[in-house]
Amino acid sequence: MDRRKFIKNSSLASSLFLVPSFVNAFSQMVTSETGYKRLVIIQLSGGNDGLNTLVPFRNDDYYRARPTIGLKKEGLINLDNELGLHSSLRPLKDLYDQGYLTIINNVGYPNPNRSHFRATDIWQTASDSNQYLQTGWIGRYLDHFNQKPDAAIELDESLSLALKGDKLNGMAIKNPALLYKTTQDPYLKNVSKHYQDNHLNEHNLGYLYKTLIDTKSSARYIYETSKTYSSNIDYPKHDFSKQLKTTAQFINSGLNTKVYYASLTGFDTHIYQLNKHKRLLKVYADGMKAFVKDLQSKDSFKDTLILTFSEFGRRVNQNSGNGTDHGSANTLFVIGGDLKKPGVYNNLASLSDLDNNGDMKFEIDFRTIYATVLKKWLHVNDQVILNKSFEPLDFI
Amino acid sequence: MKKEHIQHLYWRAAFGINPKAMQSLLDKSRKSVVDLLFYESSNYIPLKIDTPEFDTLTFEEFNETKKIHRAYIEKSKLKVKELNHEWIHKMSFSNETLREKMTLFWANHFVCQDRFILYIQKFNNTLRQNALGNFKDFVKAISKEPTMIDYLDLKQNRKNKPNENFARELFELFTLGVGNYSENDIKESAKAFTGYNYNFEGDFVFNEKQHNYDFKHVFDKAGRYDGDDIIDIVLEQKQCARFICTKLYSYFVNSTLNQAHIEDMTDVFYSDYHIETVLKYMFTQDWFYSPEHIGTKIKSPVELIVGMSQIVPVTFKETEQVLGIQKMLGQILLYPPNVAGWKGGKNWIDSNTLMLRLKLPSALLSDGKIDTKVKGDFYDSFSKYYENRKGNTKIKAFIDWDIFKTNYEEVEIEDLNNYVLQSPINKGTLNYLNRLSKTSKLDYCVQLMSIPEYQMC
Repeated sequence: MDRRKFIKNSSLASSLFLVPSFVNAFSQMVTSETGYKRLVIIQLSGGNDGLNTLVPFRNDDYYRARPTIGLKKEGLINLDNELGLHSSLRPLKDLYDQGYLTIINNVGYPNPNRSHFRATDIWQTASDSNQYLQTGWIGRYLDHFNQKPDAAIELDESLSLALKGDKLNGMAIKNPALLYKTTQDPYLKNVSKHYQDNHLNEHNLGYLYKTLIDTKSSARYIYETSKTYSSNIDYPKHDFSKQLKTTAQFINSGLNTKVYYASLTGFDTHIYQLNKHKRLLKVYADGMKAFVKDLQSKDSFKDTLILTFSEFGRRVNQNSGNGTDHGSANTLFVIGGDLKKPGVYNNLASLSDLDNNGDMKFEIDFRTIYATVLKKWLHVNDQVILNKSFEPLDFI
Repeated sequence: MKKEHIQHLYWRAAFGINPKAMQSLLDKSRKSVVDLLFYESSNYIPLKIDTPEFDTLTFEEFNETKKIHRAYIEKSKLKVKELNHEWIHKMSFSNETLREKMTLFWANHFVCQDRFILYIQKFNNTLRQNALGNFKDFVKAISKEPTMIDYLDLKQNRKNKPNENFARELFELFTLGVGNYSENDIKESAKAFTGYNYNFEGDFVFNEKQHNYDFKHVFDKAGRYDGDDIIDIVLEQKQCARFICTKLYSYFVNSTLNQAHIEDMTDVFYSDYHIETVLKYMFTQDWFYSPEHIGTKIKSPVELIVGMSQIVPVTFKETEQVLGIQKMLGQILLYPPNVAGWKGGKNWIDSNTLMLRLKLPSALLSDGKIDTKVKGDFYDSFSKYYENRKGNTKIKAFIDWDIFKTNYEEVEIEDLNNYVLQSPINKGTLNYLNRLSKTSKLDYCVQLMSIPEYQMC
């Protein structure tokens, strides 16, 4: 970001903060004039089976590895005569046709870890496989670029490591009205007003006070701002779509937040995978359809980038329980109104040349995707956040 | 033993202690106070809820039709919630406080979830029964629990098609920790755990036909091992004792680790893997009572809820509400986020959970109101805020203020903070508290429970 643009951005941002009730009048201008870029990250927790999400239906190896859970060609949504989307993903095909979807295959990292816990940490902290980091990549984005906690919001009751920084944390918000109301208690307001910050910040107690004070100011801003927009779009009834609906409300009301984090859980399909996976993908795709429509209704889709990942893919061979075990490399979806390379970004890795564990080999380090997004979308120095240099890709 | 030290011990090894109960401990030595704590927990009293519709149920009745099966599962799910409610109640009012605290600890070590009430209740009681016993017996018992067999897919672990889920978590989460085993150790160990199953009554069944009797090559050893053999081999490694002691230290002492103290604990634990021995060792060390540990741990949601009852007994009336509170605070017992359990510490805290934590005592004890009257101030500045509040769902609970009055009778109102709080108070907050018109011990108690310091133990 050049200096002029930066000043323009920050002065607008601060005026918004001071006069929240005027936000409605400003919000259109903010999105159109400054091109306020937002990133929405969606985690499919449990390890989504990429091979049954985007199916190589012309590959015999696929059907040999999955005699009972391999998806038949007839049921798939054909993309390019090689790959087919799962039948639940019809809305994604529509985005694909309009050039709003980039599919990146074989995303992973060297020496993959197959524990949910550890693999999630690796993705969320952007660490090497044998490196243990205590801060998340979004948390470090807040730290280094001196953002307020409300610059990154997780649509959940608790905060993931991804949004936890060294000095700053993002916020976990499911219901902005409720949070605001709680912060207005007179006694608690007095307590936070009287608190004296004498080098307590390193300690747990200081952390509680700091969170209290940050929460109070952010809750007011988020509540006052977001109540100026309410969506007319019908969302499916599911906790996941509720997260997306609130995200759209935040974005469309002109909230200053840059990163949103939502998640859909249940992808750990060790047994009886077919029905469960079908249901989950439908929840995902139907939610995305409503979400994109909502953003388009306020013309904010072009300034929004949606990244969908899972902590790992699943083993190529099915197991004895008609399910799949933990694998490694996986397919990642990028959705946005302003993509440079829509469509299938790269070919799916070989299903015959597997690693020692019987998993697909990775081709693209997930951190090159982070680096791309940080550099080309959020316009910050990606190396400072990732502690390493990665050659950015050209999908945006 | 000093008052501060007794309170510290009881906050870590149990859920707190009231001034009256503390009175008789003040002139005892540290060793006898700790011994008494273990003595009080020598009994094992299982947690049991009424399950008349399941007690005589047969497998055939349970699965008569799909519809009937589904109806039983729905009933069972309600019973699991009831078990959660009763567990909270047991922790709040049981005499075996240390055993209950350890059961809670192990429930976040051997993490499991089940919707079938009889199995999850059995599992919970296996945790309780072994909570202070021998770790080797404990791990073996856990590996044979129907709930664990289901949760980590041991049933799907067959001779010709192994499922690695249990073997992996056994090493990663239950015994050794990440990085102390190879992928090959997992693959080979998974073979040893083949044939694990259970009958409808929940008893372990070893299915010989599904067991892989081949040689297994694990940790530089080879043999025709079964699951118990693998557990024996794993526990031979000192790393296992170290892993458990690190977890104990992090939970009971401080999440900032002291490797020297952990090594000392590891030596004690490794000799016979007796849990009671290593706990006694930990609770009697001078370093356990070092000021840097006192009042510096962030309470877990359950410690917060149960701990309140040690000051003012709270009996929740509605199961859904007990679960709702836990959900909002980020920890629902019997419903862990994943097999790794809850991370704890600062991880409990974000904008939402912190606000709810600060509001919970007043929501339960004083109709959601916290007094803000300062000395000489007759104008009720806070009433305006509460005027506009519309029908908040009231938490239905029986609050026994009489017990509070009896237990805290000898405590002067000016001294109440030294019994309610474990952490030193921030200077600014202390100034504010000093200005409050302390006219009622009850109101002041709620005020103290509503500051961030109360979140610490």
